[in-house]
Amino acid sequence: MTLSIIAQMTVSGSLMGLVYALIAYGFQLTYATSKSVNFGQGELVMVSAFVSLTLITLGLPYWLVVLGGLFFGALLGLFVERAGVRLALEQRSEGWILLTIILGLLFFSVAENVWGRDDRPFPTPISQQPIHILAVDVTPVELSVAVGVFAIMGAIEIFKRQTLLGKAFDAVSADRDAGELMGISATQTVKLSYALSGVVAAVAGILVSPITTVGPTMASALVLKAFSVAVVAGLESGFGVVVVGMFLGALESIASFYLGSGWREAPGLVLLILALAIRPTGVFGKTLIRKV
Amino acid sequence: MLTVSDLHAGYGLSEVLAGTSLEVKAGTVVALIGANGAGKTTTMRAISGMLRPTKGQVLLDGKPVQGLPASRIARLGLAHSPEGRKVFGPLSVEDNLLLGAFRRLPRFFGFHARAARDLDRVYELFPRLRERKKQDAGTLSGGEQQMLAIGRALMAQPKVMLLDEPSMGLAPVIVQEVFRTIRRLKQEGMTMLLVEQFAKQALGVADYAYVMERGRIAIEGKPADLRRDERMLAAYLG
Ligand SMILES: Nc1ncnc2c1ncn2[C@@H]1O[C@H](COP(=O)(O)OP(=O)(O)O)[C@@H](O)[C@H]1O
Ligand SMILES: [Mg+2]
Repeated sequence: MTLSIIAQMTVSGSLMGLVYALIAYGFQLTYATSKSVNFGQGELVMVSAFVSLTLITLGLPYWLVVLGGLFFGALLGLFVERAGVRLALEQRSEGWILLTIILGLLFFSVAENVWGRDDRPFPTPISQQPIHILAVDVTPVELSVAVGVFAIMGAIEIFKRQTLLGKAFDAVSADRDAGELMGISATQTVKLSYALSGVVAAVAGILVSPITTVGPTMASALVLKAFSVAVVAGLESGFGVVVVGMFLGALESIASFYLGSGWREAPGLVLLILALAIRPTGVFGKTLIRKV
Repeated sequence: MLTVSDLHAGYGLSEVLAGTSLEVKAGTVVALIGANGAGKTTTMRAISGMLRPTKGQVLLDGKPVQGLPASRIARLGLAHSPEGRKVFGPLSVEDNLLLGAFRRLPRFFGFHARAARDLDRVYELFPRLRERKKQDAGTLSGGEQQMLAIGRALMAQPKVMLLDEPSMGLAPVIVQEVFRTIRRLKQEGMTMLLVEQFAKQALGVADYAYVMERGRIAIEGKPADLRRDERMLAAYLG
């Protein structure tokens, strides 16, 4: 009996954890090209989800909602790069830390004013009826999280490995100056990475909202866990964030079942503290995260 | 092909180049020699856009390029193989070469087929790179990395190539191989500006040479004339 509950909690929790992994993957994308991350990434998830919700209420078909959400996410990512990151990077300062936090706060208050403070349901054409697989119940909506996360991460990894532009992406992260000498614009590459990380944030928002509902406060809860995942997994390994994200999601869901839902946030925080105390460089990556 | 006039550049407030002028005619190899710290690398960086010149003009094939971002200048046909080689360590040898041709290749698919002939040419020039094409560039020896850096610059099919101290830190046999390659590229008609500490060897391949002292061109001329110049003999060829 308890075993099947644990199995149930592990499965639904780790599916949720894939969302944290995806947001953490967004950090990795921009860190690779610019050694910077958007501290307001959670607000990008939230605003893209609200925009998608608006598109749904306008009566657009679901595929168009997804496309529109992703497009808007890319625009938001580009906006963050332009307004919060580029100047700081040109000055070789770390002003982007403060600027991206401020942009996040700005997005938060815009969202509160445009869409209100309440959490709202996010309708989806995907069924919420649980289906029984082996010993556990999962809903197609939960499964769609896994499909969506692996599809977008897979697409980006294929882009990076198989296209010349993707290789240029890696070249800029290896040596920005040498990349420039090959004709690869570092500025354009950083822009691309921010657009991609915006897309990834929007995918996370669209996938998670049917499960959690949409509201301005969803941003901070998600981004903190994504941070825990990124710090533990490091800022280099996409495989790492998936493993750590699923682990954290499962841990959370087991903790909230046995200790009460008030304890849901605890594993993420404990993990973050432990990771920073024991291995400031991440378990799966070698990058020093001196800025976080 | 490359004309530099009255170039000024520096780092922060300290000016390193105080009015450098030089010219590289199409199809010639020009050597830029001088003591350590004279400003040779800074000259190359100011030409290729890695460093923004504060004053002066750089004409690439008749077009002013000073002040443009390095990536723009590279796409206009200038390939700069920088001091210290700067290969992309975590990328494979072949990916390094493909990225050298970034300015000419399709960005998404089909780039490999389009680059096949140029890859073959580089591999024929440096057979060791073919053996190691799947290997991470960071695992190559210094000499192999230098060959990769030259090969990567060739992949661009540049109008002008800048080579900054290709022999730095290499064993004498490898230095000979590097100079053999430079000689061969010259025969094929490559236009090249070559920075070297080995003044004798550089003069051996060059059609024309400039000698730099404290950010200025101090002496210039044909190698044969420079070899007879007393100041040259005393300072660089003794
Ligand atoms: N990144 C840098 N920052 C500050 N000064 C530099 C830098 N690079 C070179 N210099 C200074 O510029 C002068 C010229 O250096 P460089 O162009 O590298 O000479 P060379 O290539 O002829 O040995 C030297 O005095 C050196 O100390
Ligand atoms: Mg030098």
